Amino acid sequence: MKISLNQLKNYVEINVPVEELCDRMVMAGFEVESIEREGDNIKNVVAARITELTPHEDSDHLQICRMDIGSGKTVQIVTGAQNIKKGDLVPAALDDSYLPNGAHIKAGKLRGVDSLGMLCSGEELCLTEEDYEGAGVYGILILRDEWETGTDMRTVLGLDDYIIDFKITANRPDCNCFLGVAKEISVVLGTKFNPPVPSYKTVGGDIKDFIDVTVENYDLCPRYVGRIVRNLRIKPSPVWMQKAITASGMRPINNIVDITNFVMLETGQPMHAFNYDDLAGKQIIVRNARQGEKITTLDGKDYNLTCDMLVIADGEKPSCLAGIMGGKESEIEDDTKNLFLESAKFRRDNIRHTGRSLGIRTESSGRFEKGVDIINTAFAMERALQLIDELDAGDIIEGSIDRNLGLPEDRILTVTTKSILELLGVEIPDETIVSILNSLGLSTVYDNGTVTVKVPSIRDDIEGRADLAEEVMRIYGYDHIVGTAMRGDVVRGKKLPSRIKDDKVKSAMLAMGAYEIATYSFIASGAIDTLRLDAEDERRNAVKLINPLGDEYSTLRTQLTTSMLTVLATNINRKIEEGRFFEISKRFVPKALPLTEQPDELATMSIGIYGKDEDFFTLKGIIEEVMKLFGAHTQYKRSAEPYLHPGRQATVLANNKPVAVFGEVHPAVASQYDIETKIYVAEIKLDVLYTIEKRKTVYKALPKFPATQRDFAMLCDIDIPVGDLESAIISGASRLLEKVELFDVYTGSQIPEGKKSVAFSVWLRSAEATLTDEQIDATCARIIEKLTKVGAELRK
Amino acid sequence: MKEQLNGILETAKASILAADSEQSIEELRVKYLGKKGELTALLKQMGSLSPEERPKMGQLVNEAKAQVEALITDKAKELKEKATELKLKEETIDITMPAKAVKRGKLHPLNTVLNDMIDIFQSMGFDVVDGPEVETDHYNFECLNVPADHPARDMQDTFYLAENLLLRTQTSAAQIRTMETRKPPIRVICPGRVFRADEVDATHSPVFHQIEGLVVDKGITLCDLKGVLEQFAHEIYGSDTKVKFRPSFFPFTEPSVEVDVSCSECGGKGCRVCKGAGWIEILGAGMVHPNVLRSCGIDPEVYSGFAFGIGLDRLTTTRYKISDIRLLFENDKRFLEQF
Repeated sequence: MKISLNQLKNYVEINVPVEELCDRMVMAGFEVESIEREGDNIKNVVAARITELTPHEDSDHLQICRMDIGSGKTVQIVTGAQNIKKGDLVPAALDDSYLPNGAHIKAGKLRGVDSLGMLCSGEELCLTEEDYEGAGVYGILILRDEWETGTDMRTVLGLDDYIIDFKITANRPDCNCFLGVAKEISVVLGTKFNPPVPSYKTVGGDIKDFIDVTVENYDLCPRYVGRIVRNLRIKPSPVWMQKAITASGMRPINNIVDITNFVMLETGQPMHAFNYDDLAGKQIIVRNARQGEKITTLDGKDYNLTCDMLVIADGEKPSCLAGIMGGKESEIEDDTKNLFLESAKFRRDNIRHTGRSLGIRTESSGRFEKGVDIINTAFAMERALQLIDELDAGDIIEGSIDRNLGLPEDRILTVTTKSILELLGVEIPDETIVSILNSLGLSTVYDNGTVTVKVPSIRDDIEGRADLAEEVMRIYGYDHIVGTAMRGDVVRGKKLPSRIKDDKVKSAMLAMGAYEIATYSFIASGAIDTLRLDAEDERRNAVKLINPLGDEYSTLRTQLTTSMLTVLATNINRKIEEGRFFEISKRFVPKALPLTEQPDELATMSIGIYGKDEDFFTLKGIIEEVMKLFGAHTQYKRSAEPYLHPGRQATVLANNKPVAVFGEVHPAVASQYDIETKIYVAEIKLDVLYTIEKRKTVYKALPKFPATQRDFAMLCDIDIPVGDLESAIISGASRLLEKVELFDVYTGSQIPEGKKSVAFSVWLRSAEATLTDEQIDATCARIIEKLTKVGAELRK
Repeated sequence: MKEQLNGILETAKASILAADSEQSIEELRVKYLGKKGELTALLKQMGSLSPEERPKMGQLVNEAKAQVEALITDKAKELKEKATELKLKEETIDITMPAKAVKRGKLHPLNTVLNDMIDIFQSMGFDVVDGPEVETDHYNFECLNVPADHPARDMQDTFYLAENLLLRTQTSAAQIRTMETRKPPIRVICPGRVFRADEVDATHSPVFHQIEGLVVDKGITLCDLKGVLEQFAHEIYGSDTKVKFRPSFFPFTEPSVEVDVSCSECGGKGCRVCKGAGWIEILGAGMVHPNVLRSCGIDPEVYSGFAFGIGLDRLTTTRYKISDIRLLFENDKRFLEQF
């Protein structure tokens, strides 16, 4: 809320500089967004005296002025104006100066003669005759001879006001107005608060003879106050009122409209002025709109109304969208004769709904949404009438309409000062607490440590001791809060098992040279299509955002691979030659669609690698290391993911449960990400992997006896997986096996068509003794037997 | 024979002295001390001597042998050392040649900072808990004292998934879940991802991260909150960092405060980083609102508590002076390598 400092001074004594005022208000809970000095748009313009005036040789109208600009300095300025004479004091915009119209004045030459600035007219300084005598004259503004040369023009013009933009928190709607802020300032500075005391004269008559007001829905309109003013004398409002309105960002229109806006800014209570003569049937009915009713608002727009919207209707039709905007038809115009003035309280959620669904937000609706005080409604009306009287804007008819179902009583809170201080942890004397509460307009009765507080409806944010504690503390000063150590046992906090496991996986990934990435949880609706999944694939059942920022961020991801592909693409397209990346995040799996309950959020890791040294098997190596962390018994099966190379992909089974899929990305998928090179991705279901309980690590004795190595070279059909041969060796060697290693796979010359040569090294060792030749031979025979069973024959 | 011995000895000494390689010294060893060596040969001639001369001469030859032996050993050692020295010299490398890269990954900067925070709060006894990212209106708003149509809902533009389901706008939702499942004393932090309908730009992201802290116990005060946050600020920003509370408003805390720390860049004098203020706003906090405690079945007359919410992304961008929050989600390797 922007407020003129001079306006605030009408209500409260401000005895500190503006910066200090703002600092202290911040510490009382009123953040200051900006402080703007009036005249900030005038820079480097000074009062200067003409000491010499000579005609320009090459011009019939230009004059060369020697200007005394103070501090013993003079400059030469060329002007075309004719209303000046030697000795005049005038505004001079010096080199590199700014005028309120935005003009930037620099030194230059006029027809070959140096001019180090410009003399200003009243108009160039955005002044009217009302601001400064002579400002309306055509020519240079001649200043009253009461200033030293060199005096800043802002001082000369009395531009000493500041516009302060206070950020009002949602719990303090009462401070969205001059009086609310002024009241707080009076408490903060400890100075007197002088709110206006409304009084006015009427011309008699009886409002009942003029208007009939009915409230049909007290739920949406708990209070409706109305008055009649006749014989309007519409004209511009006075400068002081226009200034106050402009400072707060509104536009002056005429005295009646300005009074309603000014009163809203001053008291926080929006008002509405109806052209009385346009009200059909001389009736005001506060009611729900009828389905299909229409209204044309002040700004000329048409709206179709629904029956949940509240309107102020006359005898025939809606005349105003309650609390939001008036109707065009009953608008106050220059020739309006008679006025029906409204001050009401509308329910905030209803105003909010109507405003949202029609897409209208006004100063008025904003205040109703935040909440206005039901008591203040009548005060605002009184204040408006006082201004109408003072400005002689019309004749006030005797009598007031005030429709309500009873007004609330003050809330009574009884608390002990001890209970307030217990929350704060500071010592504050009881009398200080009581006096702070009183100064805030919360009247108190104190009895031996117990305070009974009467909370007026305008402060209905105060509900209990916590609120009172805050009120006391923000005035007493938060700098009194001194850090203390919490009581309680000294313990180190624990992490959830899932976080501990995440940490374990992450450190393994880092050790394997992978960089952790972070990507958004939502993806484009079409991203899943890039994976070429079947129509029935469950990963297509994704949760959609109702109000996304755009399609790009519209869908909660059911897999992490598309995000990984995007990251790989970013890096590849930026000519980064190689990379290993991983992300641990959640995949969102709905239990049903449309969504009726929270989806499952399942911990998932994606891995993406590329570069000249990377292939299927380097990725397999990474996955194997991850599996080892959990002591999982791992198997690899061919898989059939449509986004992976059909011959280069696998499902990983950990203890017989599928936990991961990995492989080379299908070129048809990669190309959709503009990727031409080979890339490899994996997706690991950490939620499943984490269910595997790793057995406790127990030390195994180091071998005492030597190992024996034997090589097995064999021939087998080309399509027998080496994994089968390895399994055969493992089972043949049984418990004597220490290690088996594939060292050669070969096809080509010397090898029969359809066959391949495969060679393994096998290490045998016993923990109990050095193996004898007999033991070794027997074991080798068993290995060969098993190999034969899977279709391999030993090469001779 | 004696002359002969002296002659051999002199020649041997001279040649040993002159030897310039391990090989030549080995040849000399053979030449004088070998089975067919000159000194050995001399011993064999002993038979031609008289029995009186024999032992004398024998002793002389043996002494000569020992002398030659010692000379050869010393020289051999010397030559070996020389040879080694030479070899090492030849092996000199250009130490400014590039290292053979060890490939090691890095955590995402957000998580590097998060881990620091977790360490700090764990050491103060805070458990680290988790909450769902898809929340119900009930947990994200209602229980946090933000009923439907409360103006505070305007403070946070929410992504909705269904009428009652949304992407959590704050980790505070996890407060409620914690208080429902644990009994005081409660000391937890809940780090996590949160979502708000903010258009993406250099300082805004619809996806960001918070660390929620919650303490509930008997006799917890606003001063305790300051104590905890001071410890946190000292660890993160340096031990001379000052913490300032400013009154503010959040629906779920009362009293509510904005917390500023003295600018670590200028020490509070005012600079570009703190925009001249000397202070940097780092988080919002406050005493848990009695309505919130009540909605979780905790009696606010018996227990009190505080809560705070720290923006992880801001903390990360300030720590590393990252100018654009979008870099955090772009994942350029050259960016990720830096932290």
